[in-house]
Amino acid sequence: MKNTLFSPMHKRYVKKLKRNKIVITCAQIGVLVVFLCLWELLAQVGFIDAFLMSSPTRIWRTLADLYLNGQLFYHVWVSLFETLLGFLIGTVGGTAIAVVLWWSKPLRDVLQPYIVVLNSLPKIALGPIIIVWAGTGQKAIVTMAVLISIIVTIITMLGGFLQTSPEKILLLESMNANKMQIFFKLVFPANLSTLASCLKINVGMAWIGSIMGEYPVSKAGLGYLIVYGGQVFKMDLVMACTIVLCLLAGVMYFLVALLEKFFVKWKS
Amino acid sequence: MKPVLTFDKVSMTYYTKANETQALKDLSFDLFKGEFMSVLGPSGCGKTTLLSLASGTLKPTQGQILLDGKQVTKTSTDVGYMLQRDHLFEWRTIYKNVLLGLEIQKKMTDENVKHCERLIEEYGLKEFKNHYPMQLSGGMRQRVALIRTLALKPKVLLLDEPFSALDFQTRLHLCDDVHAIIKKEGITALLVTHDISEAISMSDRIAILSPRPAKLHRMHETNLSHHPTPLQRREDPTFAPQFERLWKEVS
Ligand SMILES: Nc1ncnc2c1ncn2[C@@H]1O[C@H](COP(=O)(O)OP(=O)(O)OP(=O)(O)O)[C@@H](O)[C@H]1O
Ligand SMILES: [Mg+2]
Repeated sequence: MKNTLFSPMHKRYVKKLKRNKIVITCAQIGVLVVFLCLWELLAQVGFIDAFLMSSPTRIWRTLADLYLNGQLFYHVWVSLFETLLGFLIGTVGGTAIAVVLWWSKPLRDVLQPYIVVLNSLPKIALGPIIIVWAGTGQKAIVTMAVLISIIVTIITMLGGFLQTSPEKILLLESMNANKMQIFFKLVFPANLSTLASCLKINVGMAWIGSIMGEYPVSKAGLGYLIVYGGQVFKMDLVMACTIVLCLLAGVMYFLVALLEKFFVKWKS
Repeated sequence: MKPVLTFDKVSMTYYTKANETQALKDLSFDLFKGEFMSVLGPSGCGKTTLLSLASGTLKPTQGQILLDGKQVTKTSTDVGYMLQRDHLFEWRTIYKNVLLGLEIQKKMTDENVKHCERLIEEYGLKEFKNHYPMQLSGGMRQRVALIRTLALKPKVLLLDEPFSALDFQTRLHLCDDVHAIIKKEGITALLVTHDISEAISMSDRIAILSPRPAKLHRMHETNLSHHPTPLQRREDPTFAPQFERLWKEVS
């Protein structure tokens, strides 16, 4: 129920909450500022080797250069495209497979050990196989991103589906519902929050996949720049790209979290 | 008079890998139109099993169950089943929860939706129509669960300890409400309960079950139908002696 008349006590409470939030945000920014200043200072006085450790101003200059010669957005776009594609295929495909496995118990029982093994396998070990099969282009990189996110999605979503309250299923059955209705009226909506956490996990997984995929083979992308920077000892470039990567992953996570709020309105 | 629901020598055994559990043994009884029958029995004796069999979600291992003279082989739209807990869908508003059964049976006609709205209004939930279940008290939630069942206009209503999760006060009031609703809509009801006083105050007849495997121990007539409400029945002079007798038989 919406209450429109608030007591002074409530006002004070809300004020306190707000103040807490401001204090925490300030502290968070403070940590970053102090860290950057200290880093810069230590590099300036020569306490740390700026050639090996880089420094905030050098990173900034590198980013500006990359931006000015048009390289920045080119590489960002390449990596982002691979990641988003891997993320989408992994999430949608994984969820679809989880639905099929929920539907058919025999299939689930038969495939279970294979899924478990695939889950524990470090997917990077499949790198050479993927390169041989899918070539050295973006196809291989997207495949890696898909592979890493799809298995987690299958396991998480199937686990959620199977945990749906059997009594709620009984209730729908007593109303004459068929399996399709049980899925769409109950099992899927009951697992929207599972899907949301799956999306959050997959943001990370897809980035791991695409960057790891870029390491060995690619000619473009942030992963490529990082490896290239490492090989020619341009630590400024490595650091700059890592920071861009942090920003991109952070923004993507934030968007997914926003989506979750929209999904599960009833929780508020 | 022809019975609406008949159990004819029904036995039910659950099989698991480790063992088998016989829940019901040779259980027979008739439930007549408009009648309110309670099933009273010790914990774990097979009461929920009995209702699941009647609803058609479970099949007996022996014997047969007849609904309007026809053997029950699958769930029927004539039977409403109210489970031990309300099981409202948290992501649906109260209104949407009530409409669930109609959506599933593809009966979203104007007439049926109006019927639901009337039920919501009549049973005091109008202002909560667009709330989510989390915002409601236990008693209100249970009432919504009842309306969700009534929305499908069942001829027979199966109730599995619908009040067991509520506090005493709420319970007494809800008993009165539910009893009134059932009598007004002319529904035949089969109520499962642990609570002896609830059974006496609500029902016309009480089937007393033995411990597992449940057999019919005795059929008890309450003879209290001349009182309109369960609360009034509790004040009848025969209430206490009936309670005492049933209490001895159940324990
Ligand atoms: N799906 C099942 N598989 C195996 N055994 C079961 C199953 N469901 C119930 N049983 C067993 O059957 C017996 C009767 O169960 P039931 O739920 O019908 O009892 P109940 O009288 O409703 O109990 P309560 O009073 O606790 O609600 C119990 O011993 C239970 O362990
Ligand atoms: Mg039970």
